Amino acid sequence: MTPDPLDQLSARLFEAARSEVIPHGAEQRALEAARREVSQETRAIARVSSSRKWLAAGACLALAAAAALLLRPKDSNLGISAEPSVVAHVRPGPKSAPSPAPLTTASATSNHAPPVAPSLAVTAKPSPGLVPVPVPPAAASLSDELSALKVASSALSAGDAKAALTALDRYDRVLKGQKLRAEATLLRIEALSRAGQTQAASSLAQRFVDQNPGSPLVDRARSFVVQ
Amino acid sequence: MAASRDEVIAIPAKASPLDVGRAASQGLTIDALVAQHYGFIWRVLRGLGLSSADAEDATQQVFMIAARKLDAIDPDRARSFVYGAALRVANNARRGLRRRREVLDDETLDEPEPEARGPEKMAELDQARRLLAQVLDRLDEKHRRMIVLAEIEQLEVPEIAALEEVPVGTAASRLRVAREKFRAALLALRDQNPFVDEP
Repeated sequence: MTPDPLDQLSARLFEAARSEVIPHGAEQRALEAARREVSQETRAIARVSSSRKWLAAGACLALAAAAALLLRPKDSNLGISAEPSVVAHVRPGPKSAPSPAPLTTASATSNHAPPVAPSLAVTAKPSPGLVPVPVPPAAASLSDELSALKVASSALSAGDAKAALTALDRYDRVLKGQKLRAEATLLRIEALSRAGQTQAASSLAQRFVDQNPGSPLVDRARSFVVQ
Repeated sequence: MAASRDEVIAIPAKASPLDVGRAASQGLTIDALVAQHYGFIWRVLRGLGLSSADAEDATQQVFMIAARKLDAIDPDRARSFVYGAALRVANNARRGLRRRREVLDDETLDEPEPEARGPEKMAELDQARRLLAQVLDRLDEKHRRMIVLAEIEQLEVPEIAALEEVPVGTAASRLRVAREKFRAALLALRDQNPFVDEP
């Protein structure tokens, strides 16, 4: 049976298409371009991931600050005492009676208008029959810690590393901040780095990494470690 | 039923950062993707009417897209992914080509291949490819793709169905119609047969 000439022609056309040679080096050029895309994409994802961590940390801070403000007693417009020597006064009761809970400065002042600052409460003359009972220093509230870190962060953003470090010193020494300790440390690392104290920043970053391996801020801290 | 290639040429959404490393963990690398599918994509793009140089550019774009979405690509469907991307890139390239043709009418002409074949054979092959391109130009898009996949790439109907995202029966029926149309178009252009030994 004679093959159909049209089929034969078709087959030769298809064969010609299949035999076409891909331009020399084209595949390698495509591979290199694609590899560049991969590395760019990897960097972009790392940036997004880092930004997301910061955003998440920021959102957590904002939520915590909002919660702290909402939960704070309405008359608690007390400043944070610079000195931890707050003393409450407790009226001694009969031995058989249960001891009343120690009054904190906040609760002590909340029953009296107008509210007074803790330092004033401390220096106020004790009522007759009250004996001083030392109580632990009032911890800085989250919003106070947040405010201090905002000062540091703003200074850092403005390029004033020295002011940032001063604000962070206040956070450490005055507020004795604990709630945002990790964020404060990271800010200090960055401030030290910006201030040219690269080695100090690196050492602190390394300690942070070692001590906070699960922290969402650890990648950021690691970026300051000088190998 | 999933949309076929005629309805939408879909490229998967951008990979989430949460997906990072998924493809890599499954063994899919951009190097492997290029090595396995470069020739297929380049020939498909040629079959869809792009010149050799345009096909190279378009193929590169396809793999750059794949590189950006590497983590979203299922290694088992990698060919389908790059094929879908190629169709979209080809559409864009041809739109640009149509604009350029207003300036240069014979855009698809290629430089002669640097092959160690005789000049007559080279000329013959070159004319054959031009004739094939002319015949394919007379087909509508879906039938053109069928001919490219079945006759140039020599894929089986189930493979074509998977790439085209249509049922196997639909692919078979479409291929039958495509072949009939191809024959009719070739018959109309038969006087341009470049093969000197053709009866």
